[in-house]
Amino acid sequence: MQYVWDFRPVWLNFGVLLEGLVNTLKLSGFSIGLGLVIGLVLALGRLAPTRFLSLPATVIIEFYRNTPPLVHFFWYFYGLPILTGISLSPFAAAAAALSVQSGAFFAEVFRGGIISVERGQWEAGRAIGMGHAQLMRRVILPQAFRRMIPPLMERSFELVKTTSLAATLTYGELVYKAMVLATQTYRPMEIYSTVAVMFFTVLFLASLGMRAVEHRLARRTAR
Amino acid sequence: MNYSFQFGEILANGDLLLRGLKLTVLLFVLAFSGALMCSLFIGLARGSSRRLPNLIATAYIELFRNTPVLVQLIWFYYALPALSGWQPTAFTAAALGLFLNTSAYCAEIWRAGLQSLPAGQWEAGRAIGMSEWQLLRRVVVPQALARMVPAFTNRGVELAKMTSIASTITVQELMYEAKMLSTQTFLPLETFTVVAVIYFVLIYPGTLAAYALERRLNSKGA
Repeated sequence: MQYVWDFRPVWLNFGVLLEGLVNTLKLSGFSIGLGLVIGLVLALGRLAPTRFLSLPATVIIEFYRNTPPLVHFFWYFYGLPILTGISLSPFAAAAAALSVQSGAFFAEVFRGGIISVERGQWEAGRAIGMGHAQLMRRVILPQAFRRMIPPLMERSFELVKTTSLAATLTYGELVYKAMVLATQTYRPMEIYSTVAVMFFTVLFLASLGMRAVEHRLARRTAR
Repeated sequence: MNYSFQFGEILANGDLLLRGLKLTVLLFVLAFSGALMCSLFIGLARGSSRRLPNLIATAYIELFRNTPVLVQLIWFYYALPALSGWQPTAFTAAALGLFLNTSAYCAEIWRAGLQSLPAGQWEAGRAIGMSEWQLLRRVVVPQALARMVPAFTNRGVELAKMTSIASTITVQELMYEAKMLSTQTFLPLETFTVVAVIYFVLIYPGTLAAYALERRLNSKGA
């Protein structure tokens, strides 16, 4: 069977797809920012010396890491308003679900980086009378942060791909715009292929950028 | 916010969720078992020094790793019938998409695992006249496998979560049944809470196994 490709509907509506891409990046940027904050809080909670803090943090991290993001999208959009009385816009629900979900993954990256700092550093800090919070802020986190950069970036790329699920909440990101265009133009093949290429271009360029950063970090530590 | 939860109605419809769960498990088993086997060959091609197989495998892996699964599933659902004239069911399209996606990730695990073996192992096998296939089956894979099991387990966890996306192309797995149930009962909060717990119970043992395997591997290596 010969399929006749026709990309004209794609070019005519490329502005719509670009708008979707901008929304995808907006949702990604917002969720990465908030996710990093949530992740740091969860990681510090999990590592806290009291069970009162470490247990809830561990439960949240493990729960969000072991359940599908799609369920959280639906939970925040349809479930949470019933509980709180505040209904969220598709963007707010998607951003909340993504931030907490990625926060759980970011937390594990933070935790891994923190516990990778040599024991002598902790002991030295304690020996000169630093408290847990002071030690974390002044000694451990600044050293751990550099090692965390590559895995944090990798996790952020995962997040960008996960934003596509916001289409199911009718948030106008790239996949949602594509779905609308596909039903309007009857050209799903061409449109979804273009969308795949757009995602690929953004993520592939980003991962090339990451490799360059990794390279520089490796050189600096070697010196 | 004095909301009284009505979990009873959700549990009364447990058979609906159970039916979805069966399809979720079937999707997982088909995609994962297929991917574990096929990815060995993609991984070999990716690690190969020959130009053409290397190029094809690299393109395949990068393509699947740098696009969202949702786009891949939709693409297979629409693209296959248009390109081949064969109309797959939503389930077949989802299984195929998840299989190809997981294969791409597993291929990288195979490549790293195979490359982690000292070159002497390959050379020794060749020196006593083993064919490539014999060498793989008798020397390389048995040794590399132990190191790769934690990574494969993590991949299985990711795949189990990904199966929920099949609901968007109308595969009637757990997430799809949950959406149906939530609109029928007008109880989205309870439905999605219960479904999240079901997924957690299903997936968490996999993560625990990966932790345990990693720990065992580290203590053995030390």
